Amino acid sequence: MAERRELRAVRRWAWYICLPGFIVNFIFGWYPLALGIVVAFQDWPIIGPAKFVGLTHFYNLASDPLFYKTFVNTFYYTALSIGLTFFIPIIVSILLMEMEKRVIRIMMILWFIPMASMSGIIVWKWFYNPYYGLFNGILKILGLPLSQWLNSSRIAMLCLVLPALIMFGPGLIYIASLQSIPSDLYESAELEGASMWQKIWHITLPRLRPVIAMLLLLAIIGNMQVFDQPYVMTGGGPGYATTTVVIYFYNIAFNSLRFGKGAALAFVLFCVIMVLVIIQRKYFRENIDI
Amino acid sequence: MAIIPQVGRKKIRVRLLLFSITLFLWLGVFLHLFPVWWTLVTSISPYHEVYKLPPSFFPRHPTLFPYKFLFSAAMQTGVTIRQGERIVTLHFGYSQFYPIWVYLKNSVILTGGIMVFQIPITALVAYSLSKLHSPRWNRILFIFFIGTMLIPYQISLVPSYLLLKNFPFAFRTSSLRGINFLDTYWAVILPGMYSAFNCLLFKGYFDGIPESIIQAARLDGASELGIIRRIILPTSKPVFAVVSYFTFTGAWNSFMWPLIVFKKAKLFPLPVFLYEIQASVSDIKNPEYARYLGGGIPLVMAAGIIQSIPVFIMFIIFREQLMKGIQLRGFK
Repeated sequence: MAERRELRAVRRWAWYICLPGFIVNFIFGWYPLALGIVVAFQDWPIIGPAKFVGLTHFYNLASDPLFYKTFVNTFYYTALSIGLTFFIPIIVSILLMEMEKRVIRIMMILWFIPMASMSGIIVWKWFYNPYYGLFNGILKILGLPLSQWLNSSRIAMLCLVLPALIMFGPGLIYIASLQSIPSDLYESAELEGASMWQKIWHITLPRLRPVIAMLLLLAIIGNMQVFDQPYVMTGGGPGYATTTVVIYFYNIAFNSLRFGKGAALAFVLFCVIMVLVIIQRKYFRENIDI
Repeated sequence: MAIIPQVGRKKIRVRLLLFSITLFLWLGVFLHLFPVWWTLVTSISPYHEVYKLPPSFFPRHPTLFPYKFLFSAAMQTGVTIRQGERIVTLHFGYSQFYPIWVYLKNSVILTGGIMVFQIPITALVAYSLSKLHSPRWNRILFIFFIGTMLIPYQISLVPSYLLLKNFPFAFRTSSLRGINFLDTYWAVILPGMYSAFNCLLFKGYFDGIPESIIQAARLDGASELGIIRRIILPTSKPVFAVVSYFTFTGAWNSFMWPLIVFKKAKLFPLPVFLYEIQASVSDIKNPEYARYLGGGIPLVMAAGIIQSIPVFIMFIIFREQLMKGIQLRGFK
């Protein structure tokens, strides 16, 4: 009986200590989510109460060429970014494991020395500067024709992905899971006469598979929602060449203050991301621990 | 030390392979550090070494003028110069700025506020999910507390903005007057008080603490608060270090949300300030003018260095724990 009472006290204590988090997560987590779907069907004038307008915002978006343009841009960015840079940390991490422990330590510390993200974006923008930037400086030294970089609608998107390609590095999470692979697996494989590629293909990659699946999912979601970097580097230009969905959303909702249309666009993006997530989960039938 | 054969390390082919891998990795380290170094170099260069093509790779006449300018009142008042007969006052384009102290203070308050509230609140939620709730409630509460992480954040940007504008009603009617949190620090701190991602990290770690220790402490008559203080906190230092570091960098770097909720320039945190000042500096067409306004781009880079220093210090402080923390169970 006493144990029973004690257990009940524990459960009550559990509720007390999770209450602050419960309230915050309700007000700023779930409530806005529900509200967001409601606002997508409303019109918010500058003054006065909101009116229900049904599917008007969605009809307007469907006949808006910019809407399609920004989605194409976002898909293009995601494909470019994942195609060019997603596999790099995997390779670098596998190679890094071949170094001596001491070297790994030093390299890891140097690699993960952080820079505030905005400073990183701004120095890259300065590299790309067509008049005084480093890249055109190098081209000039080499005697090659100068480029417009971010001001050229043809390569602007590539320029946004380039930093992740050039500043290649390992991934903390890959290193963690690589370290958890027992080394006798490799030793016995070697005794069996396995080649390097066979070891990577049959031991390393299968072990990394769940992590790769999870990070691929996060990369897709993250890239579809990209904002900071293109917004600061190009502001969506030249023209609309690098306007991603979230930049377009930001301009609609917070520059033109059309909250209803903005919420409708966010809702469409949400649905698109969910579809991609479902497709990806189907492909990698893995039990992913979130 | 696993993929390359252990036997025959002395063979020329294996050696060459190992050497080229090493070279490749050091190249990566170098390329990674290069922008940091370039920011530093640019920030101490005088304007005429920066506004030219090709640029100088080493500062020939290093100067601290950009840093001094950032902290001076001239950020706000502009600079008065004599141009021949006329006296001209130079400003940064369209925006008004303050000495960087103001923005540093804002960033410290916002980041500090988020850390002070978020870490205890989130840790308590995670602990209750991991050890205290009944299994039946646990399943429901887990979805409640983690589910918000899986949903793209944009969908709640507009409603969160409306909510903070007229708290807690969001909807605008004549009778429902709420509090307007926009253009106050609370607009950033309130939504940052709980983090689903950190909750998952905490829970993953707490799950690894054996239940039996807690039961034993209970039998010895320890209070629930005593268990948290004497058992959970001392054993969980690594996860607290990792979460503190993530929370710090996340809050310190956050750009979009402050850009949305702050219209007063006096409240901008450093990332928004950096964005605004680089836009203004790009608007200065005449490098001659940039010379007086802190050197133009060197001023922006100096601000970037100032923004990066706290992140760097935090990294040094938490380095050991971070390198260990990569084995935290929450990451698996």
